[in-house]
Amino acid sequence: MSVVGVLARITIRGLLGRRRFLLLLPLPLLLIAAATIGRISGVDPSRWADAVLSQVGFAVVLPLIAMIVGTGVLGSELEDGSAVTVLTTPVPRGTIVLTKLAVAIGVTTAATALPMFVAGVIVDSVRLGVGLAVGAFVGTVAYTTLFLALSVVSRRPVLIALGYLVIWEGTLVTVLSGVRWLSIRQFAVAVSDRVASTELVTGTLSSLYAVLATAVLAVAATTLAIDRLSAYSVRGETG
Amino acid sequence: MRTGVIHDLGYQRYTGPRFGRGYAFRTLYSHTLRTSFGLGRGVKAKIFSWTIIGIITLVAVVLTDIGSQSSEPVMTSPMFVDNMATLTILLLAAVAPELTSRDQQTRVLGLYLARPMRREDYALARLAGAVTAIFLVLAGPVTLMFAGAALSTDKGASGVGDAAVDWLQGVAHSATHALVLGSISLLAAALIRRRAIAAAAVVAVFLVGLPAVGVAAELSGSQGATELVSMVAPVAALSYLDTWLYGGSDLDIVHGPWLLLYVVAVIAACTALLVIRYRKVPA
Amino acid sequence: MSAPTVPDTRPDAPARAVLEVRGVSRWFGNVVAVNDITMSIGTGVTGLLGPNGAGKTTLLHLMAGLLQPSRGEILLSDAPVWRNPAIYASLGLVVDREDTYGFLSARELVEATAALHKLPHPRAAADRAIAMVGLGSAADRRVATYSKGMRQRARVAAALVHDPAVLLLDEPFNGMDPRQRLDLMELLQRMGEAGRTVLFSSHILEEVEQVSQSIQVMVAGRLAASGDHRAIRRLMTQRPHEFRLASSDDRALGVALLRLESVTGVELEPPGLLVRTRDYGAFARALPPAARAAGVRLYQVLPADESLESVFSYLIEGGQ
Repeated sequence: MSVVGVLARITIRGLLGRRRFLLLLPLPLLLIAAATIGRISGVDPSRWADAVLSQVGFAVVLPLIAMIVGTGVLGSELEDGSAVTVLTTPVPRGTIVLTKLAVAIGVTTAATALPMFVAGVIVDSVRLGVGLAVGAFVGTVAYTTLFLALSVVSRRPVLIALGYLVIWEGTLVTVLSGVRWLSIRQFAVAVSDRVASTELVTGTLSSLYAVLATAVLAVAATTLAIDRLSAYSVRGETG
Repeated sequence: MRTGVIHDLGYQRYTGPRFGRGYAFRTLYSHTLRTSFGLGRGVKAKIFSWTIIGIITLVAVVLTDIGSQSSEPVMTSPMFVDNMATLTILLLAAVAPELTSRDQQTRVLGLYLARPMRREDYALARLAGAVTAIFLVLAGPVTLMFAGAALSTDKGASGVGDAAVDWLQGVAHSATHALVLGSISLLAAALIRRRAIAAAAVVAVFLVGLPAVGVAAELSGSQGATELVSMVAPVAALSYLDTWLYGGSDLDIVHGPWLLLYVVAVIAACTALLVIRYRKVPA
Repeated sequence: MSAPTVPDTRPDAPARAVLEVRGVSRWFGNVVAVNDITMSIGTGVTGLLGPNGAGKTTLLHLMAGLLQPSRGEILLSDAPVWRNPAIYASLGLVVDREDTYGFLSARELVEATAALHKLPHPRAAADRAIAMVGLGSAADRRVATYSKGMRQRARVAAALVHDPAVLLLDEPFNGMDPRQRLDLMELLQRMGEAGRTVLFSSHILEEVEQVSQSIQVMVAGRLAASGDHRAIRRLMTQRPHEFRLASSDDRALGVALLRLESVTGVELEPPGLLVRTRDYGAFARALPPAARAAGVRLYQVLPADESLESVFSYLIEGGQ
């Protein structure tokens, strides 16, 4: 049993064991249902694709699943103390972070990129499906590394993540146009637009910038997470 | 050798008056209220709630200021409440899991029920506390706006009268928002034990339906159909209800009475489901 | 349940694993949890004793490299423990408060830990560790279904599967029934005798008295005393020692003893005498001649309050 294999297995079982994965199902199913309804209605997709794909898919399904998985994969263990089991072994902290990151990205991709692909195919074509899946993957990498780093650094990562998603990506983007350069949602949309090359999904950023920004964010967030985990201090209580 | 003695301190055989169910209910209610605002705990518990309250108040102050300089208010109080819905949902996403998921996860619920408190009491006290908290968070700034408008009006008594009417409508709509958003949030959070997922669930429940309204407006072009579809997204439905009851925009609401019925039904259903949930949750 | 066997000491194990704590303080905001502690833990079993809130758990976390000292440093065999995952090859930690992966069975948990330690035969090591803590029959059930005592034992097994030279335990006997407690005490004693360094914290005096060779007493974040508890007692010369004497003629003996300089008080307490003295050594030397001179035969000379309990209370009360 390799170290990485053991870590990965523990992480996956912790995330998805015993029906917990069912919690991840409603959102993707809703997305596919919405796409199906739109298709069945026979109305031209250009009038509703943006709502289903962008507003439900990229704005709700992707970030929320990435948040649940990204903060849960390490954060919940730090919170209830079970991470100590792994931390008191000589496994390098970098290995711990990268393994959990890989699991988180894998699970989130399966729960978002796949449904997005299906939705894209339903709405229009395989090309759209592929574009959406790639965009969702880029978004997954960005969100997951960000939320995982957040879960190491802060005690309430979920609230900060929700604040970022709802206020920064949701509200501020409509008010201050400069904010979109720092909005992961826009990264995902931009990449989708480029790959699918369709008017059904329009990004406002250059896809090259989006990919580069995601790479920078992923590296920075992962580095931060590894460093902070190496210097992890258990939450304080006298006793 | 000395013999041992167990002293009778008396409290196990207390036969005097005890506080009953009502007291327990009221105490939990006030405790819920305090938890929602992070009172009685450290700084970190207060940050999130008070930041959101601060933002809402700030917006109210800004609107009042603008309104005092022009003769027309920028938006009616009910519309202000509608626009603050996103922040309200965020606040509920932070607060609702603390009120419901935390007690379930740590199995503290059993401790509550060992007192003269019934399961229904617990659920209703939590709900009442949360609803009151949201009401205060919305009605407070509304009242602030009223004060600002009344003081700065240049139309004398009629101006104050208008502002008062607007204030009453704002307060009423704050109550409606508090009831609808609060009951839905608590129900969603009560179903999930882990606080992180509960918070996500609260947000998801409100955000997921919204695009449908935009799509319906696009596709059908009919106001009536859009209103019916808005029942999937409580925030949108409340916004239409506001326009129907209090005016303030050019929309002609077709199905006003249905929206009102919907709101009442949602509140009743969520409350009932919350009680049922707590009847079945293991302590 | 037959007694589990002790694993062989590795041939290259260090002769003496020493945990050095140097001037360590840790505060959380306004609260000083650990206040300028310097101590040296050697091989054998050491008890970390103190009331709740004394900072024992904090100190153990500091020693295990899971908490950064606000000041000072901690060394394990001359290597710093902070930011140094390599030390975990020789260190195991069990903290009562922290949970573990409930969805794994004990066997899976211990085996996974063994694999993470890169042991060459994780399955065999896990079986040995599980046998050591006596979990054999329940090892394949999920940890979440265990009682508290069993969960503790599972965690102890995971902490010693890699044969660490140092084992840190925080209130390990919490939640154990008397039989489990005895078994664990025996295990710790055997590990101490085999040359391991075992440090466990407790606020229960009998546990510490029975198992450890030396104690460290923490009160309100400070180190109040270290060493053998009887020796500590003797150092506290300010508080009078008490002896219970039984003799052939208590009153005559009492009169004779009152003439001794080292004696501060004599009390007739049937069936014997209670004597208070300020100077343990001087009294011990002066007693036999005084008794002989008075023509009294001594039947019993017992120090009355050498138990850890009295040491402890004395330290807590701050020498009142």
